Amino acid sequence: MKRLTPWIVALLFLFPTGLLIYKSQFLNLSLLPQKVDDVWNFDVTLRPKDPTATTVSFPIPRAGEDLKISDERIKGKGYDTLIDRNSDSAVLTWLGEEPIVKRVSYSARIDIQPIIIKKISKDNTVNYPKQVKKYLKKPVLLPEDEEAIVLLENAIFEGNEDKSMIARKAFYYINEEIQRNIKFKTIKDALSIGKGSPLVKARLYSYMLRRKDVPVRIIAMLRLPLLNDPPEEKMQLTFANEVFLNNRWIPVDTNRGHFGERPDRYLVVHRHYEEIEKSINRKNVVYTIRADRAVINKFNKEEFRKEVIRKGTFFSFISLYRLPPHVQEIFETILLIPLGALVLCLARNILGVPTFGMFTPILLTVFFKETSLGFGLFFFLSVVGIGIAERYFLDKLYLLAIPRLSIILTLVILLLMLIAFTGIAEAFGASHIGYFPIVIVTVFIERFSIMLTEDGTVNTMKTLLGTVIISVLTFGLYSISTLEILVFTNPELLFMIMGFLVLIGKYKGYRLSEFIRFRGLVKQLKAKAGM
Amino acid sequence: MIFREMREFGILGINNRIGRFILRQNNRKNYPLVDDKVKTAARASAWGVPMPENYLEIGSVGDLKKLPQLVTNLSSFVIKPANGSQGNGIIVITEVIKDENGWISFKRSNGKIMSMEEVRHHISGIISGLYSLSGRPDVAILQQKIDMHPIFKDICFGGIPDVRVIVNQGFPVMSMVRLPTKKSDGKANLHQGAIGAGIDLQTGTTNNAVINGQVVTTHPDTGHLLSGVTIPHWQEVLELAARCFDMVGLGYLGVDIVLTPDQGPIILELNARPGLAIQIANQKGLLPRLEKILKDAPSGLTAKERVAFSQANII
Repeated sequence: MKRLTPWIVALLFLFPTGLLIYKSQFLNLSLLPQKVDDVWNFDVTLRPKDPTATTVSFPIPRAGEDLKISDERIKGKGYDTLIDRNSDSAVLTWLGEEPIVKRVSYSARIDIQPIIIKKISKDNTVNYPKQVKKYLKKPVLLPEDEEAIVLLENAIFEGNEDKSMIARKAFYYINEEIQRNIKFKTIKDALSIGKGSPLVKARLYSYMLRRKDVPVRIIAMLRLPLLNDPPEEKMQLTFANEVFLNNRWIPVDTNRGHFGERPDRYLVVHRHYEEIEKSINRKNVVYTIRADRAVINKFNKEEFRKEVIRKGTFFSFISLYRLPPHVQEIFETILLIPLGALVLCLARNILGVPTFGMFTPILLTVFFKETSLGFGLFFFLSVVGIGIAERYFLDKLYLLAIPRLSIILTLVILLLMLIAFTGIAEAFGASHIGYFPIVIVTVFIERFSIMLTEDGTVNTMKTLLGTVIISVLTFGLYSISTLEILVFTNPELLFMIMGFLVLIGKYKGYRLSEFIRFRGLVKQLKAKAGM
Repeated sequence: MIFREMREFGILGINNRIGRFILRQNNRKNYPLVDDKVKTAARASAWGVPMPENYLEIGSVGDLKKLPQLVTNLSSFVIKPANGSQGNGIIVITEVIKDENGWISFKRSNGKIMSMEEVRHHISGIISGLYSLSGRPDVAILQQKIDMHPIFKDICFGGIPDVRVIVNQGFPVMSMVRLPTKKSDGKANLHQGAIGAGIDLQTGTTNNAVINGQVVTTHPDTGHLLSGVTIPHWQEVLELAARCFDMVGLGYLGVDIVLTPDQGPIILELNARPGLAIQIANQKGLLPRLEKILKDAPSGLTAKERVAFSQANII
């Protein structure tokens, strides 16, 4: 038996660890669903200004590594639609047999990932792939602009820079020396006055780099509002650049000071400004763009479910994500119960905290989770109050135990009615109460009333305090959503909990409470031993 | 660190008690022999081990109607749950009072009068499992009331003291006497404020006393010195305790013994999970003694020989 325990414990720990490694390393499954920061509802409505136009086009976001698009909806009854997804961008075109006079629209749900490129190394590329070459096209400049740019080039470039350094130097200059101001719309203004609109700044950057044979493009994007920003009725497109270094496109924003990164509040609508210059010009088309938050800070379980099922492995079949959503919800809560039991075992066997029975603290925690901590505590303490009051009043009637407990139960039902009428539950932020309180009461009140009789008020209150503290601590643990989703995604972790439980079960050392209990004895024994 | 000191002094903790001594030495199937006082009594009578006489066993609320007839011939008795613990639910009736109308009431050991109705309520509480270890329906026992041995006259208040002996594999390892106080409501229950006085195994003399873990020298209610009291029939007490191991087959056992003025020591009850407060009463740790038995005690000894071994080897 002695040798068996370490083996069992080792097995209980190694089995889930092995599974986790297997799932993540060999099956390439994520151990947790992606945490979704924000999902956006993107919407653009437009109509051509020219009443005789039979087509109208508008850039739409294109899915990619940093951008997920779902629920695409195109509106425009009676018109054909065509989406041109060239390698970098997408443009949606409505085609009518008759002129388009009514509004058409495109909407989609969009999930943006931020881009952060930590290391940008030297780049001395000479030959570029075909699809990149168009971004090398030299600008045709006005003579005075060209003159000014040459002057600038002489001032900031030394002539021996690699392409990454050129991109960086031009970025620093435009970012710091040219102030963003939408009123100044020409290169001349930008270079002479030091002010320029986002588009001008993006253009200047593009000119400077292309003159040095660095592929660069102007991207059109939306700057999405922050959580506390006032809602914008009409959103404007803004502009930045992407530069091709080390065989990849690197985001550069000379307006907001980002080099090699793009936060997830920027939604790229198109990656080649020259191509859409006409279709986004308000002279040609009337349009409104909107983007509102759809989901905030949630685990993307739906996506994960798809991922799990798509992999088609053995785990796809035993994954809880296959279950219907309401069953999933139940499991999310109950899978944490063993964790609560672990806390309870620690508290009782290692710390020596007294509690009412084994399950009362866990039930209480689940109750807190079902309602709210405030309401749960309020209700529980009210029941305790009823239990004490009952002892004072019903003791004199000499009732048999079962009818007596039934009276308490009835009083609890009355309490529930009172709660419903006064709206106390809502005040504590608890939405529904359900049958759970009654279960708790039946489990708890019997033990409580016996203990009050047998061990006196002081001991009972100690135990009550222990129960409440353990429940609140466990509740704190249950509130960590990552933990909940981790166990839900990888239920094999329960074996690990069992491993811990075996270890606690084998613990023969002192409880922390015995330190208090035997403190006096140790002191006297020390005195006797002359220590 | 205090835990290290506790280990050095051989103090036994709860986890260790359960894991090393109770789970390993006590077979669960033997538990009912000690938890159920009806079963204990039957076993004791078969083994010729003296226990208080059980007058009545009441297992259903229906029997309570007949309570007046049933108690009419008794002059004193104790009501206790068959599956109780820690002395809870026990009521001592010192006198059965009949008035001129034939109504019966009861005088308790603490002097209070209980009506027939109150006694019935108490018994029905026992039957419905209010005091049972598992909370299941229980049987109430009306048992012979034990009188106090005169030796304890000055160091007791209200109730009967009992001697607790911890027996490991049939060898007595530690002992104390539990003396009721006013605060413990006449019960010999340390949790409720009774005195625990450690007893020297060799001589049977009290050496140290505590209330709620605090050392006391005199009884708080009577003022008499608590140490130096020698328990009468000490060898018999230890042998009786040692025999209980053979009787119920539990390796780690608490035996509660009362001294009667006329019958000598008799078994009051047995406990498969005896508490650890005995260490505080004795100002000694249990561990070295238990380990000594497990390591050095020879097997196949009679109860008398085991007592002799303990007295010779346990200091």
